Amino acid sequence: MIEPLVSLRGVSKVISSRTLVEDLTLDVPAGQVFGFLGPNGAGKTTTIRMMVGLMSITKGDILIGGHSIKTSYEQASSLVGAIVENPEMYKFMSGYKNLIHYARMMPGITPQRIEEVVGLVGLSDRIQDKVKTYSLGMRQRLGVAQALLHRPKLLILDEPTNGLDPQGIRELRDYLRKLSREEGTTVFVSSHLLSEMELMCDTVGIIQQGRLVDVRQLRSPEGERAFEETAFAVDDTAAASKVLASYPLRIQEGLILVGGDRERIAEINTTLVQNGVRVYGIRPVTTSLEDQFLQMTGSERHD
Amino acid sequence: MTDFLKLVANENMKIYSRSRTWVMLAILVLCNAGMPLLFYIAGGDMDRWTVFSWTESFTFMLTTIFTVVIAAEMIAGEFTWGTIKLLLIRPWSRGKILLSKYLAVLLFSIVGTVITALTAFIFSSMLFESPASGMEGFMGGTAPRGALLNLLTDYVELFVIALIAFMISTVFRSGSLAIGLSLFILFVKNLFGLIFNPERFEWAKYVLFLHTDLSVYIHSPTGPGGVSLWFSVTVLAVYCLIFAAITWTVFAKRDVAA
Ligand SMILES: Nc1ncnc2c1ncn2[C@@H]1O[C@H](COP(=O)(O)OP(=O)(O)O)[C@@H](O)[C@H]1O
Ligand SMILES: [Mg+2]
Repeated sequence: MIEPLVSLRGVSKVISSRTLVEDLTLDVPAGQVFGFLGPNGAGKTTTIRMMVGLMSITKGDILIGGHSIKTSYEQASSLVGAIVENPEMYKFMSGYKNLIHYARMMPGITPQRIEEVVGLVGLSDRIQDKVKTYSLGMRQRLGVAQALLHRPKLLILDEPTNGLDPQGIRELRDYLRKLSREEGTTVFVSSHLLSEMELMCDTVGIIQQGRLVDVRQLRSPEGERAFEETAFAVDDTAAASKVLASYPLRIQEGLILVGGDRERIAEINTTLVQNGVRVYGIRPVTTSLEDQFLQMTGSERHD
Repeated sequence: MTDFLKLVANENMKIYSRSRTWVMLAILVLCNAGMPLLFYIAGGDMDRWTVFSWTESFTFMLTTIFTVVIAAEMIAGEFTWGTIKLLLIRPWSRGKILLSKYLAVLLFSIVGTVITALTAFIFSSMLFESPASGMEGFMGGTAPRGALLNLLTDYVELFVIALIAFMISTVFRSGSLAIGLSLFILFVKNLFGLIFNPERFEWAKYVLFLHTDLSVYIHSPTGPGGVSLWFSVTVLAVYCLIFAAITWTVFAKRDVAA
């Protein structure tokens, strides 16, 4: 098991007796693209604000690279680059001066590195213009540039696709995957857009009304998309679910749906047959995360 | 240490990247050149130190106002622009960020004071003669000494008012409130002395506003209610420390949800 780069331990945030985030415990292993998914108002931004030290933590602690954000803020935050909500820049200065501003706040950033990052986000020909002349997309890219200047181990992006056109979203997605692949940067990205997360992330944590309701791996370590289920058509679903009690499964439209790899499928089939359940068919079903997300959040609403 | 100076350099860059800063400095130059010129045209029979002191006593008010404008925007601006988020997520404690901002305000106040003093001095000297030797300047003492003491006491007042503006800017995150309140204090503080006369109310001698103008001590060994210069300086220092503590506490503890 790889040491988690980010570790949230029982984190709660209470503002005037309202609990915005409740007892959140979560580990993000190094090198992952982690999606933090939840509807508007779920507490994503609040959690991120606590991770970057903008908000105090009411209860619990957050460790980044083993450093507590509460007690060793300067060490912890030197590993982090972030955009929290919209990347607001100094509009009366050029994009380049804005980057100089942030470069001065961190050790060892050379002018070459600034050039490099500017090229990376494709702002080379506009970087000397004042930020007030930039489009939203350009500001977003300048935001990414300031977050990357010091080659952070952890990149935190809060709803980065807001306001981007499909082309921009695609570029960002490809870029984040490239960062994680080539530089080993861990990316923590929040969104309320499920389809986005599916394409970008290795793992998603789902937050609802301030609570973490689920963490799911979307891709196996080999890079395959693991978010698939297999449907078994059987004669008696009740008997089958009793036999398969040790497996996580659900029943939908007369089918038994289970997750897992090929070996698990074979195992389940054997178990069913050996226990006298007749199996009529086995086929893979790709449920989009969206369906599952809606199921989950839908069921939450009833209790 | 050099790393900390980079923070101050950042704050300076933000101050001097804005055209209004240069407009304010240009106005200072113009006023300090214009006043001696007006005295000259009016044809008064004055010496250069008298002209300098009269000019300075008027234009220093502007220096104070402009410093208040800069101080008021220092923290509140970052909140209104939303840039406070990207500023505070760097590996720097909030105390150091705050200190760098305050130092940038002090630097601006020094730049403004030097511009005021230099321009006023250059133009007064060009247009007027020096006083006949041995003659008293209107401020008492020898003329240059009186003028410089006057400048110094004006700077003390600027320092206190700018700190108040900086504190209000931090506590209420509103630049206009910070400008409004601190200039209000600047203009009505003399009223406090009249209403709460320390001759009548014993406690009134601890009121800050009675002590911001130390120039009374240039002519007289005792100040309001018969207190000494050191008493006034101590009162000022204690208030400044309290203001600094309030500013720091609020800034370091605040949840940033801009
Ligand atoms: N400073 C604050 N004070 C009180 N409530 C807040 C504050 N900031 C956010 N909230 C509330 O906390 C909840 C979570 O907000 P947020 O973290 O911004 O959600 P998300 O980013 O997931 O959309 C919302 O209901 C919001 O109204
Ligand atoms: Mg949000």
